[in-house]
Amino acid sequence: MEGLGPFLEVLIGGLLAGVLYSLVALGFVLIYKASGVFNFAQGAMVLLAGLALVRSLDFLVAKGLPFEVAVVGALLFAGAIMAITAWLIERYVLGPLLNQSEMTLFMSTIGATFIIEGAAQMLFGSDVYPLQLYPTDAWIILDEVFPGGILISKLDVWGAVIAGVLVAGLAAFFQWTRTGRALRAVADDHAAAQSVGIPINWIWFVVWLIAGLVAVVAATVWGTKLGVQFSITFLALKALPVLIIGGFTSIPGAIVGGLVIGAGEKLAEIYLGPYIGGGIEYWFAYVLALAVLLVRPQGLFGERIIERI
Amino acid sequence: MTAVAMTLDRPAAVPKAEEREILLSVENVSLSFGGVKAIRDVSFDIRKGEIRAIIGPNGAGKTSMLNVINGFYHPQEGTITFKGQRRHRMAPYIAASQGIARTFQNVALFKGMSTLDNIMTGRTLKMRTGILGQAVYWGWSQKEEIRHREVVERIIDFLEIEHIRKTPVGKLPYGLQKRVELGRALAMEPELLLLDEPMAGMNLEEKQDMCRFILDVNDQLGTTIALIEHDMGVVMDLSDRVVVLDHGVKIADGTPDEVQRNQNVIDAYLGVTR
Repeated sequence: MEGLGPFLEVLIGGLLAGVLYSLVALGFVLIYKASGVFNFAQGAMVLLAGLALVRSLDFLVAKGLPFEVAVVGALLFAGAIMAITAWLIERYVLGPLLNQSEMTLFMSTIGATFIIEGAAQMLFGSDVYPLQLYPTDAWIILDEVFPGGILISKLDVWGAVIAGVLVAGLAAFFQWTRTGRALRAVADDHAAAQSVGIPINWIWFVVWLIAGLVAVVAATVWGTKLGVQFSITFLALKALPVLIIGGFTSIPGAIVGGLVIGAGEKLAEIYLGPYIGGGIEYWFAYVLALAVLLVRPQGLFGERIIERI
Repeated sequence: MTAVAMTLDRPAAVPKAEEREILLSVENVSLSFGGVKAIRDVSFDIRKGEIRAIIGPNGAGKTSMLNVINGFYHPQEGTITFKGQRRHRMAPYIAASQGIARTFQNVALFKGMSTLDNIMTGRTLKMRTGILGQAVYWGWSQKEEIRHREVVERIIDFLEIEHIRKTPVGKLPYGLQKRVELGRALAMEPELLLLDEPMAGMNLEEKQDMCRFILDVNDQLGTTIALIEHDMGVVMDLSDRVVVLDHGVKIADGTPDEVQRNQNVIDAYLGVTR
C-alpha cells in the first residue's frame, strides 16, 4: 500500500497533464483531417490567441468592467482575432497554393508560424502576462487511505473537462451537421467535393477558424498554467509525439495520445529517473513516439496506410 | 455488343434532338497543358433533354472536355455558353450551382462515408441553414436535414440501393460505387448531367442496369445527359447525337447512324494514319 499512493498521484497528475497536451494536438488533427496540411503554426496560434485574450482582458478590467463581463469580452475579441487570422491564411497562404504538394503546404505553414509569432508580439507585447481564469489550487483526496492523501490540481481537472466537452462537440459537429459532412468530403476528395458545389475555400476558412478557436481554449488553460508568454509556442513540439502516437487523423487518438504521453513521462520521471539521472520528462515523449513509429507508423488510431505495389 | 441496350425502347413523341433548344454550347475551345494540346478549336452543342455522347480513342480529350465544361480546367481559348450565359471559363462552384452535375472516370466518392451521407453531399447547394444556424439552432437545421433526406431516399429507391444505405462506400463493389456516384449527382437535381464512362469496369448485368437508369433519368426527370463511353453498343443505343474527338480535334458530329458511317471515325478507330 505504501507505494500505491504516490503512484496514483503521479498517474492521475500525468493523465490530466496529458489531456492538456491533447488540447494543442486537437488543432493539428482538425486541420490535417480537413485539408491534409500539417499545420506547423498551431503553436504560434495558441500564443496569438493567448496574447489577444490576456491583453484585452487586462484592458477591459482596467476600464472598470466586472471580471466576468471582461472575460466574455476578451474571449470574443480573441475569437475575432483568430477569425481574421484564418481568413488571412486562407486568402494569402493556402488559397494561392491550392493543388500543390503536401510538403509545399507544410513549408508555407512554417513561414506563417514566424509571421504569426512576430505579429502577435508586435501587436500585443512580448512580456510574460499572468492569466487567472481557473482555480489553481489543489484538492487532496483519499487522505484517510494514503498517508498525505493524493494531490489533484484543480486547473488540470478543469482542462480535462474542457477538452472532453470540446471533443464531444467537435465530434458531433463533424458527424451530424452539413458543414461537418462537407469538411469530411473535402478531406476525402477535393475534386468530387467541388463537383457537388462545396466551396472549398470557405471550408478551409471554417477549418482554420475552428483550429483557431481550439487555440483560444488551449490558451485559457495553458495561459493560466504558465502565464501567457513566448514559450507557449513550444507546446507545438510536445503535441508532435502526441500526434504520432494517436495518429494524425483521429480526434480520439489525440486524446489517448495525450494521456499516454502525460502519464508515461511523469511515471518515467519518478520510477526510471533515479536510475538514469533524471530529467527524463523532457525527452521521454519523443522516445515513446519513436517506438510507436517503429511498430505502427500510422499511429494507434490513424487510418491504415495501404500501398499498392 | 449491342445486346446491352437493345431491349430498352425509347418512347416516341419526343421532339427530335435537332429541334430542341440549346442548353450548352462550347465554341472554339482550345486547351493545352504546357506544350501538349489536349483540345484544339472544338465546338459543339448540347440540346435540352437529349442524351449526347462524346466518344473517341484514348487520349482524344474527352475527359478534358468534361473538365472544361464543369470548370476544373480553364481553356486558353473559346467560350462556354450555359443557359444563355456566355463564359470564357467556368468555375466548379458556378457550374454546380447553375445545375451541372457530374461523375468521374475513376469513381470519386467520399470513401469514409456511408452511401446515404455521400448522396446527401449532393444536397449541399440546396440547403440553406448557415454554419451559425447549425451550431446555434439545432432544430431548424434538423428539419431541413429531414426534408432533404426524403429526396435522397427517393433517389436511393430509384437506383435500387436501399440495402447499402448505411454501408461505407469504400467497402462496396465497383459497380455499386458507380451507382452511388450517380446518386450523388442526381441529388443535385441537375439540368445537365455529365457522366464520365459510367459503365467502365462493369459486367453485362451491371451495364444493363446502368443503361436503364440513364434512360429513366432522361425520360422521367427530363435531365439532359452528356456521357463519355467506350462501349459502342451502349453509345449507339443510348444517345440521340454523338460527337467524336480524336487527338483533341472534332472529327464528326451527328446521329449515331451518321457517325458510324463517317470515314474519319472509322479511320480513327482503326488507327489509320492521316
